[in-house]
Amino acid sequence: MSWITIVWSMNAAACLTLAAIYLVVWCKQRDDWVHLLFSCSAVAAAAVAGFELAMLRTDTVGQYEALVRWIHVPVWVLTVCFVAFVRRYLHAGRTWLAWSIYGLRTVVLILNFVLTPNINFLAITKIRHLSWWGGEIVSLPIGMPNPWGMLSLASLLLLLIFCIDATVTVWRRGDRRRGLIVGGGMIFGTIVAWHVPLVIWGVLNVPFFLCFAYSGIVLAMSYELSNDMLQTAHLARQLEASETDLREMKQRMELAASAAELGMWMWDIVRDEIWITDKGRALFGLAPSEKVDFNRFRNILHPEDRESVLQILENSLRTGAEYRAEYRAVLPNGQIRWIAGQGHVEFGGDGQPVRMRGCSLDITRRKQAELEAAHQRKDLAHLSRVTTAGELSGSIAHELTQPLSAILSNAQAAQRVLASGDADIAELRQILNEIVSEDKRASEVIRRLRLWLKKGEVQQHSLRINKVVRDVMNLIRSDLINQKVTVECKLARNLPMVTGDPVQLQQVILNLVLNACDAMTGCNTSERRLLIRTGIKNDGGSVIVSVTDQGTGITEEKMENIFEPFFTTKPKGMGLGLSVCRSIITAHRGKLCATNNTDRGATFYFSVPVEVSPVATPLPATPKVAAATEGGL
Amino acid sequence: MIAVPKSTVFVVDDYAPVRRATSRLLHAAGFVVAAFASAEEFLAQYNPQSLGCLVLDLAMPTLNGLELQRILAKTGSLLPIIFLTGEGDIPKSVQAMKQGASDFLTKPVNDEDLLAAVRVAIEKNRALRRDHAELSEIRARLATLTPREREVLEYVVAGKLNKQIADELGTVEQTVKVHRAHVMQKMKVHSVAELVALTQRCGIGGSSR
Repeated sequence: MSWITIVWSMNAAACLTLAAIYLVVWCKQRDDWVHLLFSCSAVAAAAVAGFELAMLRTDTVGQYEALVRWIHVPVWVLTVCFVAFVRRYLHAGRTWLAWSIYGLRTVVLILNFVLTPNINFLAITKIRHLSWWGGEIVSLPIGMPNPWGMLSLASLLLLLIFCIDATVTVWRRGDRRRGLIVGGGMIFGTIVAWHVPLVIWGVLNVPFFLCFAYSGIVLAMSYELSNDMLQTAHLARQLEASETDLREMKQRMELAASAAELGMWMWDIVRDEIWITDKGRALFGLAPSEKVDFNRFRNILHPEDRESVLQILENSLRTGAEYRAEYRAVLPNGQIRWIAGQGHVEFGGDGQPVRMRGCSLDITRRKQAELEAAHQRKDLAHLSRVTTAGELSGSIAHELTQPLSAILSNAQAAQRVLASGDADIAELRQILNEIVSEDKRASEVIRRLRLWLKKGEVQQHSLRINKVVRDVMNLIRSDLINQKVTVECKLARNLPMVTGDPVQLQQVILNLVLNACDAMTGCNTSERRLLIRTGIKNDGGSVIVSVTDQGTGITEEKMENIFEPFFTTKPKGMGLGLSVCRSIITAHRGKLCATNNTDRGATFYFSVPVEVSPVATPLPATPKVAAATEGGL
Repeated sequence: MIAVPKSTVFVVDDYAPVRRATSRLLHAAGFVVAAFASAEEFLAQYNPQSLGCLVLDLAMPTLNGLELQRILAKTGSLLPIIFLTGEGDIPKSVQAMKQGASDFLTKPVNDEDLLAAVRVAIEKNRALRRDHAELSEIRARLATLTPREREVLEYVVAGKLNKQIADELGTVEQTVKVHRAHVMQKMKVHSVAELVALTQRCGIGGSSR
C-alpha cells in the first residue's frame, strides 16, 4: 500500500477518533460548547484529509473539479469552528474580525457552488501526474485560476490576522502557554494553508497537504483540551477529597456540638424560618416536626428576659455586632431552662440582614451554681456588714445620740421658756424647727443602719459613686474623729453613673477606709491622713475609687494573701473583709487591687464599669436627705 | 471673755445643734452662757479669771475634751468641768474624773441632771475661788512676819508653852511673849485656836515638834 494512502488515512482516522471522544464529552456536558466545536473541527479536518486523498488519486478532470468544489464544505466548517473555538475557549479575538471571517467564508462557499467548476479554477484543462517521494505518483490539476479565488485568500488572510491578534491578547493576559499552543498552532496552520493558492497558481510543484495544516491545529486544540480535562479531573479529585474532609469535619462538629449539648440554628430572616438541630429542639422543648419561626422563639423566652434579649438581637441585626445573650427559656412543660445564645448576622448585597447563624447552650447548671455563689456571697457580705456594724457600734451610737441629745435639750429648754411666762414665739419656732430637723437626722441614721444590716436581695441600681462615698463618710465620721484620722476627699465631678448595689459598694469603701485607719494606728496623729479619690479610668469604661493611707504599707508576702479569706493581720479580725470586698467588686464586673505608695502607706483601689445604657434611673433605695450630708469631714 | 461678776457656763461642742440646744436650756434656766465650736476657739478667748464652769463635749476633732482638760489643768484653771459624751465610755470617764472632772454625763442628758451638775460646779468654783482668795490673804500676812516671829508662830501652833519656846530658842519668856503678841497682831487673830486654823490651811503646823 502506498504511504500517501496510509498517512492521509491515518490523519483522517486520528481526527475522527478525537472527534468521537470529544463528542462523547460534549454529550455528557452539553453546556460546554467548546467540546462540540472541537469535535466538528476534527470531523471537518478528517473530511478534508479524505477529499485530499481522493484528489491525489483521481484521474479525471470532472472528478477533480467536483472534489475541489466539495472540499470547500469541510473547510467552511473548519474555519467557522476555529474562530468560534478561539472566541469561546481563549476568550480572545475581535468580534468584527470573527464576523468578517464568517461572512467572507460563507460568501466563498456560496460562490464556490454558483461558479463553474468552482471558486478556485475557471477551468481545469488536464490532470498531470507527479512522481513524489518513494516513487508515489500523485495527481495535480492544470488550469486557469479563478479571480474570485482571491476572496478565499482574503478570508485566509483575515483568519491569520484574527489568530495573531487573539494570540497576542492571550499572551498579554499572561496565559502564555495556552496562547502559544492554540494561537501559535493556528497561526502556523494558517500559514501552511497558503501553499494552496501557490499550487493553484503553479508556483509550487507539490501536492495539496491542507489536511496536515488543519489536523495540526486540531492537535494543538486537543492538547489544550486534554490538559484542561486532566486539570478538571485533578480538581475533581481534590474536590472529592475536600468534600470527604468536609463531611468528616461536619460529622466531628456535630459530634462535638452534641457532646457539648450545643444546639445549632440558622434563622432565614427573609422567609422567617428557623432551622434548628435536633439537639437544639430538645433544648427548647420543640417537637421534631414543629415549624419554628421568630415568633415561636419569642414566645419561648421568659417574659422577664424577653425585652433584653430582643434588644440585644435588634442591636445585632442593626449593627452586625455578635449576638450574645443569656436568658431563661420556658419549656412547654413549664420547666425553666437557662440558655446562652450566641450568633452572627449575615447581610445581603443591599445591606439588609438575610440570615443569622448561631448556637445555644444549656447553662442551667452554671446559672444555678452562680446563683448559689451569689447567695453565699450575699450571706457573707451580710455577715461582714454585721461584724463591721459591731465594730462601729460606738460610732453609730454617737451618730444617734447627737440628734437625740439636741432634741431633748431643745424640748426641755422650750418647756422652761414656756414655764417662765414670757415665751418668745420666734425662739420657740426656732427650737421646734431644730427638733424636727434633728429628728429627721436620727431617722436617717436608723434608716441607713437598717439598710446596712438588712439581708436583702442584691440590688442593681443606677448610682453615683460619689454619693456612695459620702454615705460611707457619714456613717463613720465620729469613728474617724475618735481615731484622729484626717480625711481628704477628692471626688471627681461629672462622673458617669455605674450599676450596682449601693449597700455592698458602701461596704467595700467602708472596709477599705477602716483598714486604712487600722494601718495608721501606729502613726502620730498629725500623720494619720487618709485620701479618698474618685475618678474615671483612662479608657473611660470604668469609674475608680481609691483609698490611700499613710500607714506601714503591705509587705510583699502579705500582698499575695490579703485578699484570701481568713487571712488577717489584726488580732481581732476574722479575715473576711477584703475577700468579701473582692468578691463584691468581682460580682460588679470590676477589680479590687492594692499597691504600696512610693513614699509610705498603701493604696487600695477598685473599678466598676460605667453603666452602658444611657437611661438614668432614680435611686429608690438611697433617697438624698439634706441632713445626711451636713457637716462632713 | 472678760471676767464678769456673774458666773458663766462655757459650752464647748463641735456639733452645732447640740451646742445650740444646750446653750438654750442653760439660758432658759437663768445662766449666762458662752458657746464655742471647738477647744481651740475656747482657749483663744479663755480668761483664767473667768467665773463659772465648763460643759465640754468629749469627742471632738483635733483637740478633744480630755486634752482640753489637761491644758486647762496645767494653767491652773479653777473652772470645774462637766463632761458630756455620746458614748458611755468607761475608760474615758475614769480618766476624766481622775483628771479632776466635776461630773461626767451621758448624752442625751436630762435637764435637771445637767442643771444640777452645773449648779454644783458653779458652787464648787465659787468655793474654790473663795479658798483661793483666803489662802492668798493668809500667805500675805505670813509674809509680814520676821524670821524670829515665824519661828515663834510654828512653836505656838505646835502647842508649846511660852516657857518651853523660850528654852528652845535660848531666850527669856518675856521676849517670847512680845513676839507672840506681834504674831497675833500681824496674823489678825485673837486666839491661838484661830491662828492654828489659819496656819493649817497653809500647811503649817499640825505636827508636834
